[in-house]
Amino acid sequence: MLKDVAQLVINGLMAGTILAVPAIGLTAIYAVLRFPNFALASHATVGAFAGWIANVVLGWSIIPSLGLAFLAAGLVGVATDEFVLRPFRAAGFATTAIGSIALTIALENLLRMIFGNDLRGYDLPITRDWRFAGLHLGPQQVENMAISLVVMAAVFAFLAFTRAGKAMRAVADNPALARIKGVDAVRVARIVSFVGMGLAGVGGMLIGLDTTIDPLTGFRVMLSVFAAAVVGGLGSIPGAVLGALTIGVGEELCLLVLTPNYRSVVGFLAILLVLILRPSGLLGQRAY
Amino acid sequence: MSTAQFRLTRRSVLAGSAAALAAPYIARAQGVPLTLGILTPLTGAGGYDGPRMMKAIQAVAAQVNDAGGLLGRKITFVIEDDQTNPEAAVRAARKLVDVDKVPVIMGTWASAVTSAVAPVCWESKTFLTTTSGADTITKLPHQGYLIRTQPNNYLQGAKHAEFIASTGAKKVGLLSIQAPFAQPTQERVKDVLAKNGSSLTGGLIYEPNKTSYRSEVDQILRGSPDMVYLNGYTPDVSVLLRDLYRAGYDGPRFTQSYALTSKAVESLPKEVTEGTYTVQPSADIDSPAYANAAKLLGIKDPDSYETQAVDWMSLVALSIAKAKAATGTAIRDTVRSVSQGAGTKVYSAVDGLTILAKGGEVNYEGASGPCDFTDIGDIQDCKFRYLVVKNGALTFLKVV
Repeated sequence: MLKDVAQLVINGLMAGTILAVPAIGLTAIYAVLRFPNFALASHATVGAFAGWIANVVLGWSIIPSLGLAFLAAGLVGVATDEFVLRPFRAAGFATTAIGSIALTIALENLLRMIFGNDLRGYDLPITRDWRFAGLHLGPQQVENMAISLVVMAAVFAFLAFTRAGKAMRAVADNPALARIKGVDAVRVARIVSFVGMGLAGVGGMLIGLDTTIDPLTGFRVMLSVFAAAVVGGLGSIPGAVLGALTIGVGEELCLLVLTPNYRSVVGFLAILLVLILRPSGLLGQRAY
Repeated sequence: MSTAQFRLTRRSVLAGSAAALAAPYIARAQGVPLTLGILTPLTGAGGYDGPRMMKAIQAVAAQVNDAGGLLGRKITFVIEDDQTNPEAAVRAARKLVDVDKVPVIMGTWASAVTSAVAPVCWESKTFLTTTSGADTITKLPHQGYLIRTQPNNYLQGAKHAEFIASTGAKKVGLLSIQAPFAQPTQERVKDVLAKNGSSLTGGLIYEPNKTSYRSEVDQILRGSPDMVYLNGYTPDVSVLLRDLYRAGYDGPRFTQSYALTSKAVESLPKEVTEGTYTVQPSADIDSPAYANAAKLLGIKDPDSYETQAVDWMSLVALSIAKAKAATGTAIRDTVRSVSQGAGTKVYSAVDGLTILAKGGEVNYEGASGPCDFTDIGDIQDCKFRYLVVKNGALTFLKVV
């Protein structure tokens, strides 16, 4: 029994760390622009396909491919925010959120037109799990987890030490004060769209490394990503990480009492509990 | 020498013009075309099968038309795209029924679409032919206005279990996607395995759209199965196959051919799919009807969907000819008297029509199978085609 629990926790941590990367993107965009950008789903897919082109078509190795996934999804994110979502923002929170859903469907179908519906896999050898003390652990998952941790560290360094990162935090904490201090809100919006969607792209490719990709890759994880961000406190970046780990481990541990077809219930239940007991999320809404 | 001269007079010009203008009406009176409905997925998830089924239906009709048509009339079609979407399908079906007034609609593919379109059909006394497999479809109160040429899940579950037992597997683990067919298939597989000296040591239903099924795989492997049956769709089955490999499972796996397509095999690492069996309902490849269909369609190996479409059009043509009426009710009342029974066995619509014209009885044996229907519109038997992944490619195993 104890072994089962340990195995489930391991599986959950693996899933959670990958989930954390796009969740950080979602929450960062929310912190600055104040709307949940559901277009994150299709940007994750854009990243997954960009990485696939780099890895399979151009023959790059995984790390530079992840770089391209970040860049491609980030650039598409800036473009879509500039031309699609920014005009929506004047009409308010709900309109922009709904606009982002429309945008994600459009982008997803664009990818489908270009790449078709077929599944694609990265050029990556598959390995058997490591086994120790009756538990098993996948080398690829450990690598993905390590990549996620490095990406998270980079995001925190960016927020803590760079001018752009500080400007982002300033706008997130107090937009009026930031404006008085001369922070250019439009520029910050572009930076956060680039970084946020870039992270979604990396997340999309990390998911693809472990599975296969198709135009619905991002859409499939969107609910879990959203749940992670809400549970951690929408707008709080450390919260997104904690939320992702909570959702990841929670979805696995629920298998001790529930049959697997109810796994997603954990995400919904977590959102519900948090909204009732602690509406601002586990770590509140302070960005950093 | 005298020559007959043609003189162009005002009177002859008038007479000629009048005749030219009247010609289409005269022709139409000789045979108003017989309009039938095709409603099939030209786009959406069924977009691969729909267009091919449409062509197969048209090919049979063209052959019937060349042989003199049906009730002295040429067959024409109104074609609508159901978009693999129930909502769009119902709108299109309403148009076919209310505007085009077709007696029959052929070609729905997805179970959700057929379930939505069927009431429109039976309420308007329009006959419906489909490939959808969900057990619930033929249990609808369709009053006989529906037949399907695809085996239902109950029949499929039994055949799959028989095959699995025949490989010598004694302990079987079954992972099913959350779908209407999951529970009924699990129960059926369990029963039939038990009858064949094998047993289901673990069965679970998993959620779609997950990026990892490691814990589900762990749960199934606890029963130490020597065969794992993955009853899902491509995105989740490809994740499951990877997770099974990672978890150290080396035994054979079994899945539906739509879940492990040749494209999916290409996209997955070789060692992950090696030795996996796939199954699909098969056309009756040894039947003369299959050879006829292949020749008619100009394809070497028509698949199950194309042959089912050939059979629909053939059965509809024979029913209309025998009933001497082109209405949905006439087709409903006649179809079983041309699809089964003691009549002369025929393997194509045209051959059947010749016998019917002479007052004989026919029993149509289809390209997809014998086409013998139960009272609720299910086929009674069907062949299944098994493939196995060898050296990273799907290779033919057998048709049973």
